[in-house]
Amino acid sequence: MFFIIGLGLGDCKDITVNGLEIVKKCERVYLEAYTSILTCGTAALEEFYGRKLIVADRELVEQGADAILEGADNTDVAFLVVGDPFGATTHTDLVLRAQEKKIKVEVVHNASILNAVGCCGLQLYSFGETVSIPYWTETWQPDSFFEKIVSNYKNKVHTLCLLDIKVKEPTLESLTKKKKEYMPPRFMSVSEAAEQLLQILQKKVEDDGLVTANSLCVGLARIGSQNQQIVACSLEEMSKVNLGGPLHSLIIAGPVLHPLELEYLEQFRIK
Amino acid sequence: MVNFTVDEIRAMMDKKRNIRNMSVIAHVDHGKSTLTDSLVSKAGIIAGAKAGETRFTDTRKDEQERCITIKSTAISMFFELEDKDLAFITSTEQREKDEKGFLINLIDSPGHVDFSSEVTAALRVTDGALVVVDCVSGVCVQTETVLRQAIAERIKPILFMNKMDRALLELQLDSEELYQTFQRIVENVNVIIATYSDDSGPMGEVHVDPSKGSVGFGSGLHGWAFTLKQFAEMYSEKFKIDVKKLMNRLWGENFFNPKTKKWAKQKEADNKRSFCMYILDPIYKIFDTIMNYKKDEYEALFPKLGIQLKHEDKDKDGKPLLKVVMRTWLPAGEALLQMIAIHLPSPVTAQKYRMEMLYEGPHDDEAAIGIKNCDPNAPLMMYVSKMVPTSDKGRFYAFGRVFSGKVATGMKARIMGPNYVPGKKEDLYEKAIQRTILMMGRYVEAIEDVPSGNICGLVGVDQFLVKTGTITTFKDAHNLRVMKFSVSPVVRVAVEPKNPADLPKLVEGLKRLAKSDPMVQCIIEESGEHIIAGAGELHLEICLKDLEEDHACIPIKKSDPVVSYRETVSEESNQMCLSKSPNKHNRLFMKAVPMPEGLAEDIDEGNVNPRDDFKSRARYLGEKYDYDVTEARKIWCFGPDGTGPNILVDCTKGVQYLNEIKDSVVAGFQWATKEGVLSEENLRGVRFNIYDVTLHADAIHRGGGQIIPTTRRCLYACLLTAAPRLMEPVYQCEIQCPEVAVGGIYGVLNRRRGHVFEEQQVAGTPMFVVKAYLPVNESFGFTADLRSNTGGQAFPQCVFDHWQILPGDPLEPSTRPFGVVQETRKRKGLKEGLPDLSQYLDKL
Repeated sequence: MFFIIGLGLGDCKDITVNGLEIVKKCERVYLEAYTSILTCGTAALEEFYGRKLIVADRELVEQGADAILEGADNTDVAFLVVGDPFGATTHTDLVLRAQEKKIKVEVVHNASILNAVGCCGLQLYSFGETVSIPYWTETWQPDSFFEKIVSNYKNKVHTLCLLDIKVKEPTLESLTKKKKEYMPPRFMSVSEAAEQLLQILQKKVEDDGLVTANSLCVGLARIGSQNQQIVACSLEEMSKVNLGGPLHSLIIAGPVLHPLELEYLEQFRIK
Repeated sequence: MVNFTVDEIRAMMDKKRNIRNMSVIAHVDHGKSTLTDSLVSKAGIIAGAKAGETRFTDTRKDEQERCITIKSTAISMFFELEDKDLAFITSTEQREKDEKGFLINLIDSPGHVDFSSEVTAALRVTDGALVVVDCVSGVCVQTETVLRQAIAERIKPILFMNKMDRALLELQLDSEELYQTFQRIVENVNVIIATYSDDSGPMGEVHVDPSKGSVGFGSGLHGWAFTLKQFAEMYSEKFKIDVKKLMNRLWGENFFNPKTKKWAKQKEADNKRSFCMYILDPIYKIFDTIMNYKKDEYEALFPKLGIQLKHEDKDKDGKPLLKVVMRTWLPAGEALLQMIAIHLPSPVTAQKYRMEMLYEGPHDDEAAIGIKNCDPNAPLMMYVSKMVPTSDKGRFYAFGRVFSGKVATGMKARIMGPNYVPGKKEDLYEKAIQRTILMMGRYVEAIEDVPSGNICGLVGVDQFLVKTGTITTFKDAHNLRVMKFSVSPVVRVAVEPKNPADLPKLVEGLKRLAKSDPMVQCIIEESGEHIIAGAGELHLEICLKDLEEDHACIPIKKSDPVVSYRETVSEESNQMCLSKSPNKHNRLFMKAVPMPEGLAEDIDEGNVNPRDDFKSRARYLGEKYDYDVTEARKIWCFGPDGTGPNILVDCTKGVQYLNEIKDSVVAGFQWATKEGVLSEENLRGVRFNIYDVTLHADAIHRGGGQIIPTTRRCLYACLLTAAPRLMEPVYQCEIQCPEVAVGGIYGVLNRRRGHVFEEQQVAGTPMFVVKAYLPVNESFGFTADLRSNTGGQAFPQCVFDHWQILPGDPLEPSTRPFGVVQETRKRKGLKEGLPDLSQYLDKL
């Protein structure tokens, strides 16, 4: 049996009881470590589960799926994913591969940033399409996500922006070489994200007056952990906010807020 | 020899209209360096002690031993023109008022094809070229190559017919035959010139014309030379005809009847061609009387010709006397320096039309205008064309030409390498110039500053430039265009230290070697192998020797030379190739097609290039190659290195976010075209079409990490399904030999898969010229083989000509290309066997 288990957002104890039981009995347990991170670290997890974990980086998951699935038809293998397995990150390909090999798959769900954002008071019902904001390089500066934010805005819904994380990504130069060199780990902060959005705004020739530097945003940091932080302010102000360590997310609020939403957000306003 | 102080030279440098920067170019063994000697002894500025020593410009020991020039060498000369000669310079941009002195910076360059990159570097810093042709062998392959390069760089040529002594003494041609030989060479040279430029172009009149004085005749070895001007001056009083008019009469279809004293345009029974009668006859007479020891006759002749011998020379006879007499009568230095001063352009003239060829930036910015006007007060623009080793091991002088502004010791400047892009920081350094120096052969002199239009060396720049670069003080300056070499580094050897502990020394040595030669490539393969790539066997031999003795100073083991191949395809991919990104959310659909014949060459030559306006390029491709114009407008890029002879064409229709992955696809394309699927050799002549793309909705899931490797896999699948082929480099080989040796040449060529496409007798000589194509791979040891089979009478010159498909399917074991692929893979440390299509092709 192949188990895909969500770990939740906060610390090691957020795993479900069901999930924990499975982890304890499995032959091999992989921890997916490139789409998100748990703030507590691998060592704390191993100690809590009382067993060794195999850290699976992007290369192993994307190109070495066969190694992960090996033997899963007659023993138990678990694959741990921060958040929910089918939440912000999608591991559908892994499930398809397992099915190809006639391996049974079971999924244990958990909280994901996609639903935990509700903690800022904006209603989950009124969120539109989720977008990611990638780190720009000198030559690669995509801005198509901005159009989606605008389109959400036009539909009077909020946009949740997931921010880029680079845990173990090869450098652009080494991508075309056989020997990979990796970039130092980086996590985009709300201020960096806001800065990129402001740059896109500046580049726009036409000012459609929808999303602007004054639009209301909510910055979230380390949601689900003890020291989570939330602030609400304009995009302009957000580019100067420091919310501390990773992981961060940013919400661009829609044009019309429900009175309750407004009232709840008030506690996070920058004074 | 004139002896100048640095201050005096510096003063000359400001008189930019009286400067001539020139190179001497020719086929190997046509006598460039020997001819240069006669110039240096007449007018060289510095190093008087060395005057007279033969082959002054061959500074290296091996150059002297082999009697072949390997590195180009610069010397400066000073020469004063007499008033009557100054009258020949009519343009105000060709001389300063009231200044008779001329500063001539001459660069002697190698004639052997393997070193033609040195010629390219020399041409870049000069404005004029003295083309030397051996009048016995005529225009040869390298004459044509260098002349073509000169014209392409907008370098004005003048012609010198060398080795007249051989024509007279060995071939014993009669005067009419000799005239015909001269006439033919002039025509041949003008045909080449006309092919690459015309007289109505920006350079003005380019072709050479004896009657204008831009063609010289003589013997570098014996130290005599003349142009029609010298003879016209001698006769002008006698005939009471103006010198210029007389020059016209002394060449071409002009005949004189001594009885009737009438000129005619046709040959008649009792008249004679003026050139033969007035110029060749006296020379013949001197040769005849002296070589046949007719003492009375020649002694009577001397006063008539105005020859006064020195006392000590009067006792000589035979050849030594002949030399002295000719040298006294027609001193080579005088004639040549006059040709140079009168017919070659000053920097002021030349930079007007050269700017647009040199400067990559807009043609109306400060730098462009500074270059155009050769303005010493404009911002500095200097091109470093090569690195010259200093006596201090491992350090180099950066040698180049100041086109605009002034370069001075201690000044802060921007040092821009060939990869610098304006506005970016790559390949850019802002550093102080440690020292500015004058370079004279192997001697250097420090100088305070050097103004525009001059050639000089810089100290301290070598650490920031690999081989060449632009030095400027103008913040928004673009690069001066990089030089285009006529030869490619197709022959390579792997080197390793005999003692493994010496590896760091080898690496350091390779770095220095790469600097010291304009073209050699030193590559570290990913397998850890150190590769040196050069133009030919001789070039590599010299590079290896330099590496061993000068740069690394350690014993070195070297592999047998191997050639680089190219990978290509011969059909369209037999299926639509799909590859998925690692996260499986992005899919690319592409195909490979061979390019139509001629397109790859068009790209090599720059007729089709990435900088073209895309609309006019598409029209050109549509007209010449039948490409669909709408598709041809969407060429994403060329590769490898952004300029190579492969293209990537966007044939998709309405794919969203396609432009956000374009960079990544281009990067993958550059990678795949640099390292092909068969054996990681460069690709050539392949067009890739992107037909469809499926992308993840979110930008983060379609970044470079996902798209670049996928593009490469997809391109590899395209190649494997399109009947891949290997291409090998082929030399064009020109062999001169007497008729008896021709048979031996055919034998050697046949054994080496070569084929002859032209065989011709050199008119007026018993020599034959055989032209053949020879695969570079078969050329190792060819020279030695040829000599032993022809009794040492045949001497080949091989120059890279084209790529040709190596027949056979490399995917089929037992074929020749299969063997080559396996050898290459083994050498590069790749897995043996064939690449597996299923690794690259994904199923839907």
